[in-house]
Order: sequence, then C-alpha cells, then structure tokens
Amino acid sequence: MSTIEKLKKDFEHYRAQADASAFAQQRESAFVELQKLGIPSIKHEEWKYTNLKFINDIPFQASCLHTEAAKTYYTQNIVQTLKANRLVFINGSFEATLTQIQPEDAGIIITNLASARIAHADMFSKHFGKYATVEGIALNAMNTALMSDGAFIYVPEGKQTAYPIIITNISDASEVNVLNQPRNLIVVEKNAAATVIESFFAFGNHASFCNIVNEVYVGENASLEHYKLQRLLGEHYQNNYTQVFQEGNTHINQVTLTLDGKFVRNNLHFYMNGENCNTLLYGLYLLDGNQFVDNHTRVDHAKPNCFSDEKYKGILKDKSTAVFNGKIMVHLDAQKTNAYQRNQNILLSDEATVNTKPQLEIFADDVKCTHGATVGQLDEEPMFYMRSRGIPENVARKLLLNAFADDIAEKIKIPELVAILEEQIEKKI
Amino acid sequence: MLEIRNLKAEIEGKKILNGINLTVNPGEVHAIMGPNGAGKSTLSSVLAGRADYEVTEGEIMFEGKNLLEMSPEDRAREGVFLAFQYPVEIPGVSTTNFLKTAINETRKYKGLEPMEATDFLKFMREKMELMEMDKSLTSRSLNEGFSGGEKKRNEVFQMAMLEPKLAIMDETDSGLDIDALRLVSNGVNKLRNKDRSFVVITHYQRLLDYIVPDFVHVLYKGRIVKSGDASLAKELEVKGYDWIKAEVEAAQ
Ligand SMILES: Nc1ncnc2c1ncn2[C@@H]1O[C@H](COP(=O)(O)OP(=O)(O)OP(=O)(O)O)[C@@H](O)[C@H]1O
Ligand SMILES: [Mg+2]
Repeated sequence: MSTIEKLKKDFEHYRAQADASAFAQQRESAFVELQKLGIPSIKHEEWKYTNLKFINDIPFQASCLHTEAAKTYYTQNIVQTLKANRLVFINGSFEATLTQIQPEDAGIIITNLASARIAHADMFSKHFGKYATVEGIALNAMNTALMSDGAFIYVPEGKQTAYPIIITNISDASEVNVLNQPRNLIVVEKNAAATVIESFFAFGNHASFCNIVNEVYVGENASLEHYKLQRLLGEHYQNNYTQVFQEGNTHINQVTLTLDGKFVRNNLHFYMNGENCNTLLYGLYLLDGNQFVDNHTRVDHAKPNCFSDEKYKGILKDKSTAVFNGKIMVHLDAQKTNAYQRNQNILLSDEATVNTKPQLEIFADDVKCTHGATVGQLDEEPMFYMRSRGIPENVARKLLLNAFADDIAEKIKIPELVAILEEQIEKKI
Repeated sequence: MLEIRNLKAEIEGKKILNGINLTVNPGEVHAIMGPNGAGKSTLSSVLAGRADYEVTEGEIMFEGKNLLEMSPEDRAREGVFLAFQYPVEIPGVSTTNFLKTAINETRKYKGLEPMEATDFLKFMREKMELMEMDKSLTSRSLNEGFSGGEKKRNEVFQMAMLEPKLAIMDETDSGLDIDALRLVSNGVNKLRNKDRSFVVITHYQRLLDYIVPDFVHVLYKGRIVKSGDASLAKELEVKGYDWIKAEVEAAQ
C-alpha cells in the first residue's frame, strides 16, 4: 500500500467523525491537495538534499500512545528550575496531567488546540490555516488533513506573558513506529508580548516521524521571543514548518537550536506585512554521527522599512550533514529594506558535509541586503596559540567552539536554555 | 636551563635551521639578531612546538628534559613561553578567560588546585599594574581588533601572568611606539630575576639599551655565526650584516 493510500485510511477515520464546520472543510481540501501532490522526491527543488523516502519505507502508524516512559522521560528532561507555563503533547496528543499554568499568566489562553476550537471558536477560525498554506506544500497538506492536536496560545491585546510558555512535543517510539502530526497556533495580539519555547524530544527503539506545523500571528506593535529546542534521539525524523505572520512595528527574536537529530527539516518562514518590523532569526546546529539537519528559511519583506537579521551556525562532527537554504524575498513595495544573512559552519571531520545556499530575490530598488556563507575547519593558528600557553588541545577546541557558538548563545534571553546549549557543546566535543 | 645542540629543522623539504648550538643558563638574557629570513622565528617556533616544522637532527634539553618530545602545552606548563612575532586574534574568548584557563591547566598539570576566582582576579590586577596595562584590553576578546602595539604589550602581560622560566620574545619591540617600547622593556626588566631566562629576538639595538643582554648572537642562514656581549649589537647597528656575511662566505 502506498503512503498516500495508508493516509487515506487514516483520513477516512477522521472524516467519519467530522462535522460540517469550516475546519472539516479545510481538512477535506488539504487532503485533496496532498493526493494531488504526493510526497515530494529529491527531484523537487525544495527537497534536493533532503530525502523523504523514509516516509514510504518505514511503516509508521498514527499512534496516540501515552506510555509511562514518555512521562518519566519528560519529567527528567525538562528544565525544572525554569519557572514556566507548560503544555505537553506525547505522540501528538495532549497530556493534560502535565499542564502547568502560572497564576500570573491567568489572563493568557494556554490550552490545547482541540478544545480551543470549541471554546474559542471565533479566534480559532479567524487564524487557523490562514498563514501556513497547504497549496503546493505536501507536508503541510498532510498535517492539515491529519493533524492530531497541539498548542493554542492566545495573548490578548496589551498583555504580556510573565513566564515563558513551553510547548513540549515528545515522540515516543518505544513500542511501534509512530507518526505524529501536531499543530500549534500562536496568536500574540496588538501591543502584546510573549515568550514561547517549543521543545522537542524523541526517544525509543522504533522510528518516529513528527510532521509539525506552527502558525504564528503577531499583531501590530507586538513582540515575540520564540525558541525552538530540538533534542531528538534515536530513529527520529522531523519536519518542522513554521509560518510567522507579522503586522507592522513587530519585533521577533527567534532562535532554533538543533542539538540532536537524525533527520530534521526546519522550514521557518516570516512574512512582514507592515512597516518597521524587526525580525531576528538565529540558529545553531550541533551534529555528530550520521545526523542530518536542513534549515530552510524564508523571510518575506512585503512592506517598506523593515529589518531582518539572520545568522545560522553549525558545528559538524563525524559523518553528519547540514543543509542551509536561506531565502530573502524583497517585494516590489519593500523599499528601505535592510536584510542580513550569514551561515557559518565548522567541520570537525573530513567526512562531514554542508550544502549552503543563499537565495535573494529582490524586486525593490532601494534596499540593503548582504549574505555570506563559510564552511571550514577550526583554525590551526588560534589552536597553536592557546596550546603554547599551556591549554591542552581538547580544552582549546572547546573554548574555540564555545566562542563560535557564543554569537548565537547571546541571542538567547533565557539562561536555562543557554545552559542546555553549553552542556550539549561540552558533551559533543 | 636550555641546551640546544646541533638543531636542524626544515619545512616542506626546505632546510631552515642548519645546526644551531645555544646554551642558556638561569637568569641570563640572550639576544638573537640576524637578517630577515635567517631562521629566528623558526627557531622560536621549534622551541614552542609548532608542528609544521620537522626537526631532522639535534636535540633540545630544557631543565634536563627532552623538549622535542613534549606537546606544545606541556612545554608551556614546564615553563617555556613564546611571545609571538604575530600574536593571533581569537574572537569570542576574553583575555581573562583565556588566562584563567591557561593558569589553571598549568596548575592541574602540576597537581595543584585551580585558583579561586577572586584570587585570580587579584593576581591579574597586580600584574596589570606591574605591566601598566589598560583595563579595557583584558575584558575584550583576545587580541581582537588590538593595534599592533597593543598585541605586543598583551604578549608581555601574558608572560607576567604565566611566570615562565624561559621567555622567548620574537620581535616584541617591532611596531611599538617609543613610550610603549619603554613600558614593555620596563615590564621585562621587572620580570628579570636570577632564575628566569630570556631569549630576545630583535632587529634593533634600541631595545637592548633598555634590556641589556648578557650575550648577543647573530643568526644567519640557520646557524649562529657570531656571538659576543652587548657590544656586538652596537657594532651591528653601525656596520650592518655585510661583514658577517662576508666572514661566513670566506670560511666556507
Ligand atoms: N611555513 C613555511 N613555508 C615555507 N617557508 C617557510 C615557512 N616558514 C618559514 N619559512 C622560510 O624560512 C626562512 C626563515 O624564516 P623565519 O621566519 O624563521 O625568519 P626570521 O629570521 O624570523 O625573519 P624575520 O626577521 O623577517 O622575522 C624564510 O626563508 C622563510 O621564508
Ligand atoms: Mg621572524
């Protein structure tokens, strides 16, 4: 049975319970789109280096299993010292017992999407499916048609989160090959401010595939601190799609940390729909073994006077592979755009590879746009200099790699996250 | 303290050091002079353990131990310090963090506990005063964006912090303004004592007015072709190297 046929069976199961809502309609048309597109192969320009063949090869099943192992895993691996609001999803479904809401954040809606669809129907229908398009994007169509549950965050006008909101997604492949399709919707209204951390774990002896879609709306003059933390052990595959839609005068600081992952594809998109936006997007990937991570980013400057700053850095060991594709679209209207992009990689082995590609499409004439990419080894000269002062090679290497990563670490406003990053650097090198 | 015997070294098949002999006793200051390309920096690199150079003959004993068998870090921890002709910029690593790591790694090597953070800062403050170092430099990334002279002064400051037994200074005076030259020389003189030895590589007699050497050697084509006392440097200042080159050619 082909993947699409298998998914069709799942979809029919959902369809049997569906109502006549607009939501059900969205899923119907998403499934039609998925059938039309099929799973993209490496012949598809966007998937040139990133082979989705595993979707056909591995018999995944949509499982909502909540094992004790996953809960234990969660409690052992979250940053306990960080005071936060927490929502936890295991294999794509909501684990209500692990929810934590701080009283100071009672004015903010922090719940699961399935219940928000009923309880906050107007906000849900206003935003759901409006930013992450399914057209031409098979995996978005697949998620929209077959999504399970996810986080719904709504920060009302003028409100601020007192504590970060941590959305944790755990893929537990301890019993079968699992397919998770979580879906998050984050709305930060006008003049509001929020800090959101998406934390991803995977473990287990079987394979898991998490195909997640995030939609983020940031209203006029609002700001968002957004972190993604990927610590994915075992045979885990992840396709992580995020579309951020920004109104004017918004400020976004986004940091993606991929600290482990056999196969990770991040699609991070920003659309600046108003003037004077600030979009900062940073990323760091630390790979070893046969790990593979692909960061595809896209920044749309649709209006004048916006600023974007992008920097992705990678440290690669062993036979790991990284792909970076950074697209900057400066629309016809977007005069006085300032857009910066850099991708820098350090290879710690001869067998690690990086494919990096900037893609600038500029249709306005009065813009400032720069990009640059580097791939290299750790420099010999600083190494010898440090050793000549009595610092042994491994410590010198650690200092140099920490210095390399510091650029990104300093963009993280939460010390507990920085600590996780440093710990991981320590562990990996 | 340091005994170099018939040292020959090459890089990519090119012979650069062709049999160096040099003995440095505790407390002595040796100046090494010689024309560009003679092999002075190569000698200092070989002493510090730079891997690019292949030692094909000879030996280097440091306090009775075979230096050539040690890693660069172990040489440093045994007390050899090289002030680089071209100090390296290391963005993202502060001078403070760098020196703390260097000192504690050396202490670890000697079986000592790491220095307490407060003790370290106090120690660093003392050395900064001694070397008349500007505070703003140590909080910045190591050598990053430092001027040429600032880099050289930072080398001498590091030397003061690491308290080596043998300091090799490769053209530390090049690129220094007149005041900085005096500060650096004063700094070095403050570090001079009966146990600590210096090998000072320089092109200029001027430095040797401040740091008066016990011996002056001329390195030419990878060999020490002439040695003398401080007056040799004065003679070179007046006469240049031609007469020495001529002597060497004649002897061959
Ligand atoms: N990495 C290298 N590859 C090839 N040749 C080298 C290398 N390093 C040094 N040499 C050569 O070795 C010779 C000695 O160089 P060295 O730097 O030791 O000279 P020096 O006496 O320090 O000169 P200066 O007074 O200009 O600093 C030079 O001819 C130089 O070109
Ligand atoms: Mg030299």
